[in-house]
Amino acid sequence: MPAALSRAAAIVGAAEANEIGFLDEPVTALQLHIEAIKNVSEQTGIPISRIEGVFSTGWSTELCEHLGITPKYIDTTAVGGCSFEMHVHHALAAIYAGIIDVALISHGENGHSARKIGSGGGNYGRGAGTASPAAEMSMAYGLGSAPSNYAHAMVRHMHRYGNTTEDYAHIAKVTRDWATLNPRAAMYSKEKHPFGGPITVEQVEESRLITWPLTILHCCMVADHGGAVIVASPKVAASLSTKPVWIAGAGESMSHGNMLEMGDFTKTSARYSAEAAYTMAGLGPADMEMAQIYDSFTITAAMTAEMLGLAAPGEGHTLWKDGTAAPGGSLPINTNGGGLSFNHSGMYGMPLLVEAYRQLSGTAEDGVNGDKGKQCDARTCVVNGTGGSLSTTGTLVLVADDD
Amino acid sequence: MTFVRERGRSRALQRMGGLLAYSKPIPKPGIHTRPFWEGTKNGKLMLPRCDDCSMVHWYPRHICPHCHSTNLSWMEASGKGTLYTYAVQHLSFGPWAEEAPFVTAYIDLQEGDRMLTVLRGVDPNKPEEIRIGSAVSVEFEAASDEVSIPFWRVAEEG
Repeated sequence: MPAALSRAAAIVGAAEANEIGFLDEPVTALQLHIEAIKNVSEQTGIPISRIEGVFSTGWSTELCEHLGITPKYIDTTAVGGCSFEMHVHHALAAIYAGIIDVALISHGENGHSARKIGSGGGNYGRGAGTASPAAEMSMAYGLGSAPSNYAHAMVRHMHRYGNTTEDYAHIAKVTRDWATLNPRAAMYSKEKHPFGGPITVEQVEESRLITWPLTILHCCMVADHGGAVIVASPKVAASLSTKPVWIAGAGESMSHGNMLEMGDFTKTSARYSAEAAYTMAGLGPADMEMAQIYDSFTITAAMTAEMLGLAAPGEGHTLWKDGTAAPGGSLPINTNGGGLSFNHSGMYGMPLLVEAYRQLSGTAEDGVNGDKGKQCDARTCVVNGTGGSLSTTGTLVLVADDD
Repeated sequence: MTFVRERGRSRALQRMGGLLAYSKPIPKPGIHTRPFWEGTKNGKLMLPRCDDCSMVHWYPRHICPHCHSTNLSWMEASGKGTLYTYAVQHLSFGPWAEEAPFVTAYIDLQEGDRMLTVLRGVDPNKPEEIRIGSAVSVEFEAASDEVSIPFWRVAEEG
């Protein structure tokens, strides 16, 4: 009997770039991608704006930004020449699952031209051509680190809603309060780290400036972290002694790669990924009893809380300021101490998952010595990760097992 | 007149005298962005515009991000805009580190879309005095024989 995925989707068009081969006029890999995409769009009559999922070998963010689209499904599997067959497989699964109806798989590689114009850097592999035009038009202006970018969003958010830096400082203070309940948190105590232990809003405000208005205590740490989770079928889950935490909803989106393309600096694509996740779950923000939010910076947590519908626009920080998100509050947020005070290694998506699982499975002690200080009684949790420069977002709605 | 601006002027004079080369990263013009860099060399801000929907976009693309037409051409822009948002870089790396603190900003172009810059004519030590929405205009700095880099400056009041 055929598997359930069999014939769940079909390839409906195929095209190439305008000129291929040993081209006299050098081309970039990006141009080859874009020409092929334009051509397959015209061949099929499917407007580029209807593309919902983008699959490529590491190019998907660049392609979506260049096309100005906000996809629901992003895949950048890059495992060599067979990647594109895998993209078809992944697209089939995404379509079968009802996440998307229209998937684009794209390829562009200037192996010949790259010998003339150089690879130009970038992380898109051999023959990428010159660096992306976005990078070319940004590299002269002294930006580099994450805070150097994110601070621009904080200034715009402050301006639009009349908030002060002190408003956001409450997020750092409350998140540190959580860390003091978690012995595994880097900033658990003064004994564990010279700058650990409780902090005040004033200390956050008066700490060293990194990029105004972000002081260092508005910023996450950069430490070491490793983590893993296993996702399994209900049948397998039933056979295990561990408690399942159910994936009720999931969504993803992106609005840009380079902040040049962000549009409104007070909003992230989490508003789209959250809507998808809530819709899939049949639940809404009011049903969430906990949140785990990527807090790369205080501003990231504030904006994301707004995008997830947990607070009105401009009022994300009030969840921390009035104690709602704090230990003992009605909507605990970042109960491990967050990227600000628990751990952040560069990509914080995994610690979000680990803490959400621990909380909803009733194992949110520190994992070492049985300290129960941070275990909450929440049965639902919204988890949101942000990537890049407020660029990409993934949202999950997780629920505890009924048992 | 601020200390920072004085320092900038002195560096510019030194460069003009051939004493000090431009020390910051210099973009390498791409094969599709040459009209822009030809423009900056001649004191013009050239922007890509779609022949079909007439919308300007920035950065330069192979396709209009608004209507997905590939009929694109270059237009000379006014070089005027407004300040969308900004930040003050206190911790910077590489050649820009010696300039810290300096102000980076996103500029809403009069013709549409947005450009990144290092903002001139402002005091990085008084960030709260910088006003979002301020009128700004473009100027060009010759970084090499090939490349002149656009920078934006807050217009003098009055």
